[in-house]
Amino acid sequence: MQELQELAKKLLSEGRVQVVIGYEAGAHGVRPAFVTDAADCGRLIFDPRCVHNLAVYLSPRRSPVKRLGKPAVVVKGCDAKAVAGLLRESQIKRDDVVLIGVRCSGVLADPRSGATLTGETVADKCILCDLHEPTLVDHLVGELRPPLPDMPRVSRRDLMLERISAMSPAERWAFWQAEFSRCTRCYACRQTCPLCFCEQCVADKSQPQWLETSPHPRGNLAWHVIRAMHLAGRCVDCGECERACPAEIPLGLLYRKVAQIVEARFKHRPTEDPEVPSPIGKYSLDDEQEFIL
Amino acid sequence: MARIGVFVCHCGENISRTVDTAAVAQALGEMPGVAHSTDYKYMCSDPGQSLIQAAIAEQKLDGVVVAACSPHMHEKTFRRAAANAGLNPFLCEMANIREQCSWIHDDREAATAKAIDLVRMIVEKVKHNQPLQPIHIPVTRRALVIGGGIAGIQAALDIADGGCEVVLVEKEPSIGGHMSQLSETFPTLDCSQCILTPRMVEVYQHPRIKLLSYSEVESLEGFIGNFKVTIRQKARFVDESKCNGCGDCTKKCPQKKIPSEFDAGLGTRTAIFVPFPQAVPNIPVIDRANCLLFKGRAKGKKKDVCGICARTCTRGAIDYDQEDRLVTEEVGAIVVATGYQLYTIGKIQPKEYLRGYGEYGYGEIPDVIDGLQFERLASASGPTAGEIRRPSDGKVPKTVVFLQCIGSRDPAKGIEYCSKICCMYVAKHTMLYQHKVHDGQAVVFFMDVRAGGKGYDEFTRRAMNEGALYLRGRVSKMYRDGEVIKVVGYDTLSGEQIVLDADMVVLATAMMPQLGIESLAQTLSVSYDQYGFINEAHPKLRPVETNTAGVFVAGACQAPRDIPDSVAMASAAASKILSLFSNAELSREPMVAHVNPATCTGCFHCERVCHFGAIQRKEVRDRQGNLIKVIAEVNEGVCQGCGTCQATCPSKSIELAGFTDAQVFSAINAIFA
Ligand SMILES: Cc1cc2nc3c(=O)[nH]c(=O)nc-3n(C[C@H](O)[C@H](O)[C@H](O)COP(=O)(O)OP(=O)(O)OC[C@H]3O[C@@H](n4cnc5c(N)ncnc54)[C@H](O)[C@@H]3O)c2cc1C
Ligand code: SF4
Ligand code: SF4
Ligand code: SF4
Repeated sequence: MQELQELAKKLLSEGRVQVVIGYEAGAHGVRPAFVTDAADCGRLIFDPRCVHNLAVYLSPRRSPVKRLGKPAVVVKGCDAKAVAGLLRESQIKRDDVVLIGVRCSGVLADPRSGATLTGETVADKCILCDLHEPTLVDHLVGELRPPLPDMPRVSRRDLMLERISAMSPAERWAFWQAEFSRCTRCYACRQTCPLCFCEQCVADKSQPQWLETSPHPRGNLAWHVIRAMHLAGRCVDCGECERACPAEIPLGLLYRKVAQIVEARFKHRPTEDPEVPSPIGKYSLDDEQEFIL
Repeated sequence: MARIGVFVCHCGENISRTVDTAAVAQALGEMPGVAHSTDYKYMCSDPGQSLIQAAIAEQKLDGVVVAACSPHMHEKTFRRAAANAGLNPFLCEMANIREQCSWIHDDREAATAKAIDLVRMIVEKVKHNQPLQPIHIPVTRRALVIGGGIAGIQAALDIADGGCEVVLVEKEPSIGGHMSQLSETFPTLDCSQCILTPRMVEVYQHPRIKLLSYSEVESLEGFIGNFKVTIRQKARFVDESKCNGCGDCTKKCPQKKIPSEFDAGLGTRTAIFVPFPQAVPNIPVIDRANCLLFKGRAKGKKKDVCGICARTCTRGAIDYDQEDRLVTEEVGAIVVATGYQLYTIGKIQPKEYLRGYGEYGYGEIPDVIDGLQFERLASASGPTAGEIRRPSDGKVPKTVVFLQCIGSRDPAKGIEYCSKICCMYVAKHTMLYQHKVHDGQAVVFFMDVRAGGKGYDEFTRRAMNEGALYLRGRVSKMYRDGEVIKVVGYDTLSGEQIVLDADMVVLATAMMPQLGIESLAQTLSVSYDQYGFINEAHPKLRPVETNTAGVFVAGACQAPRDIPDSVAMASAAASKILSLFSNAELSREPMVAHVNPATCTGCFHCERVCHFGAIQRKEVRDRQGNLIKVIAEVNEGVCQGCGTCQATCPSKSIELAGFTDAQVFSAINAIFA
């Protein structure tokens, strides 16, 4: 923690960045912090409650953050992958940001609980995590803890997906329809997603209007299918959309399924390498096309 | 309210047999926005087209839908008809109720209902059509020809004679290609050099041809009408502007024993050399690998070892410090005419799929030569001054065995195709040989004699009549036995095994594309087959075009070709280019992608998926010049209108004119709403 605070102080006082985006303790648990004054760096913390993906603040369309000046951002492994996504898709330039990587052994599924990190309380994404030490970064701080002794070997979502795929198509349809029916189309999932950075979302397009905007089953289905398609091979599994959703729709489950398909079909997994395009943004003559009759 | 006309075609009976065309016309007539609807036996016929034109005028139509065959067949026809009646042609569309309906269904009622849906979709689409104007792209009326063999020479001359400038790039020191190595040519036995060299000189003297010899294409940018090529002019170490071609340097060079490429290794040359006396340009080149001075420099010697040529040259043309130069040229069209090379039977092969001939000693037996070497032996300008003498001891061979189809048509050796010209040149070789060696016997082992072509079969028959012994069968083994080569073969016609004592064996080896052609093809974005032959755009209807607009192909780099074929292709490519150049501007269909600058996020998925490289990056700045964002922009000259970007763009910020989201969306809605 001290290491992080000192680094932030140094970056700010040397004028290398104008704002450090990190985490601080707030009234209702941990929240994002925007530190512009070197004297304030003592606010910065990092612990298993720091689930937020701060890469979202790098999007060029977050103008209030942009106005603060050149940022340094605290990133975990999953967050670093999101930064790679922004680089890959030309939203930011590498020199425009200082990345402070934190070694991360896992975060809490429910950060507000403030529970100790155990195999039971750990977030599902951390069971699947392959990047506890980000490398795309300029600085790396913190320590890795020893692996949790009771860390589950299989992701809870993967177990759930197995159950879902064992269902009949009608049951599966009913399952997802029930989930999607709760969607109020508040678009919190989109706003919190670091990779939903479109200038104008297709959901807001009216000429023509591809999907119905009212929270109606048909429009809801279209919205969730379109978002899943747009995130296929791009979603870094930070879990922020699911955490933001007021209707508790298991969005992470849906995107995990898509990630499984993308990995099987395109041998692709989002990584920290900004040079590797995601399948949606790639034309390859070798792509499988047996579905074309 | 739209005023759309619907015209339902019976296509004779092709459509009306399964689809009730009158019912379709009637149903569409009731659709909102349709002002006129009718059916007719043949819409594409003159009276059919007049029907459409009359309705456009009388009913003041602002859109036309022809329900008939595939747009591939007749879209042009109907659009032209609409244009002639004063309607923007892009307001006319076709609904395909033949291939997509009548031909694939039997149930008349269901097919009719489907036809109505198909036409309704297009009517809804047309309601959103916008009048479009063809795109005009300026054309640089200047051509690049790559390869200075007979094909390249012919193409260059035809284009230049047609009034346009040509840049001819040849990688060797001289133009001429393989034809300059040939002695006499089938089917007339006229001297190759005598018919070729006047053309080479003509190229050199032509005011509109810029010859860049000893040069290669390095990179290419741009698109049809607007290419920019970078060409590497390799250092000759002889200043072209000073050299007058006297040849004194080549006589004095102490390195005299270098195998001559021009004589297919049978003769020798010096390190500073002109490949052959009639070379164009007649300017020597220093072969660095064999030059004493350069070898010395390569070893790090401080003092230059030789330098005789520089001392000999009275004009001071030798420049050992010359470097490669990169020149750029702007051209509007390109001809690829890089020709061929011969397969060799050696153990080590240049490509993985090729195999050598162990049964023929992998080419290690002396006096087993290939066709081009025989051409050099028979040529008056060759190493033996036209006398047929075998390479090993210079004796005149009394029995010469010619083997056809070496490599060719032999999947076991990696080449499945027929090299097409070998039957002819083997017949030629037997005649040349027997004309020169009166008591000699020519024996030919062949699989088939394939001599299609004007005067070709007569030519091979003449060879047989003149005494060549043709044996049908293959040679299974060949080995050296003292002075002779034992040739063990099988005559399939008599069913006998044959063992011959040959003094010399000539192999008709396969014609293959030049090595390295693949990288040139990739530079030019043209496709090639598994052997490296450049693919034509259509094997029958577009034989000299490639899949890249503005790039053409001629000669033996497309497939094995003889001289008449190569010349015909070259003239065809030239005439295509001249017709392209006949207008100052190129006009093309406006179906290209457009970016919505307001919503484009600059993710550049479109750039990555565009197979044609049509997407560029463009900076958007405010009035103070501050960068707001970088967005995609489509190069209209390059875009092929495939629509891949449109399908990819997550924010729906790029769409094809004529296939906009609004059009496609309404078409889909027509059947679901
Ligand atoms: C033994 C033999 C005998 C033959 N006899 C006859 C005959 O009697 N009658 C007949 O009609 N045909 C004959 N042919 C066929 C004839 O040689 C070809 O048809 C003809 O040479 C093809 O011409 P071309 O211009 O396509 O190719 P080439 O003659 O191969 O010329 C290609 C030119 O392109 C140049 N080049 C290659 N790559 C590049 C590059 N990357 N950049 C720049 N330049 C490049 C080469 O250096 C060469 O100068 C014979 C062939 C053989 C092998
Ligand atoms: S956050 Fe939840 S409720 Fe809101 S749009 Fe997304 S899925 Fe629907
Ligand atoms: S894919 Fe769409 S949003 Fe992305 S750069 Fe291209 S046009 Fe713009
Ligand atoms: S339509 Fe096809 S060729 Fe044109 S820009 Fe889009 S992807 Fe490229």
